Amino acid sequence: MKNRLKVLRAERNWTQAELAQALDVSRQTINALETGKFDPSLPLAFRAARLFGLSIEEIFQDEESNGATTASSKETYV
Amino acid sequence: MKDQVEGDIMNPSRPLGDDYRSRVRTNTRQLAGWTGVWVGTCALMAFGPKFLWNRALVFTLLAIALNICVGIGMVVANKKYLVEQDELQRTIMLNAMGITLGVALIIGIPYSVMSSYDMIPFKADVAHLLMLMGLTYAASNLYGQRRYR
Repeated sequence: MKNRLKVLRAERNWTQAELAQALDVSRQTINALETGKFDPSLPLAFRAARLFGLSIEEIFQDEESNGATTASSKETYV
Repeated sequence: MKDQVEGDIMNPSRPLGDDYRSRVRTNTRQLAGWTGVWVGTCALMAFGPKFLWNRALVFTLLAIALNICVGIGMVVANKKYLVEQDELQRTIMLNAMGITLGVALIIGIPYSVMSSYDMIPFKADVAHLLMLMGLTYAASNLYGQRRYR
């Protein structure tokens, strides 16, 4: 799963520690999320969405469905 | 940002300042305390009959009861510790516990069989299994921490 956490955090000039505190998780978790090593649970994804005032889909993207969409788009255009 | 992180955005019922790090610190201290007392009662139970009360049955039974009661307290503290970790830490610990359980099973049973048929030069002791489990859990946990660093 891809996510925009790092970009959203940078836009607000927040540190990983501040974001971690706001989401009530460890800084290690924020780092693992940002680097794509760990996927969040649904409650954590909702907390992040609420914090940034965005929908979950605007923060987290499923790589497989994106890949499938891209592939099918390519097929359509080819 | 400060207002947001210290305010009630995430959990209105949680008091100000009750953040993740301080909660984990408190739970770790409590778990360490319970574990220390439990180890103390283990020592009392193991050595008390011989060195403190000359094998008096009542005192030995009391020491065993105390050990079990403190053990229950330690388990409750451990459960609280796990529940209040964040989801990454819980994942790391769950993986470590799964590996530990598996290793204990696949090593413990052959170890017991080997002891039964005198294939090892010493008597099998449950303490060996506990040491193996402790080392496996520590190594698995360390691996998980490094993996998600």
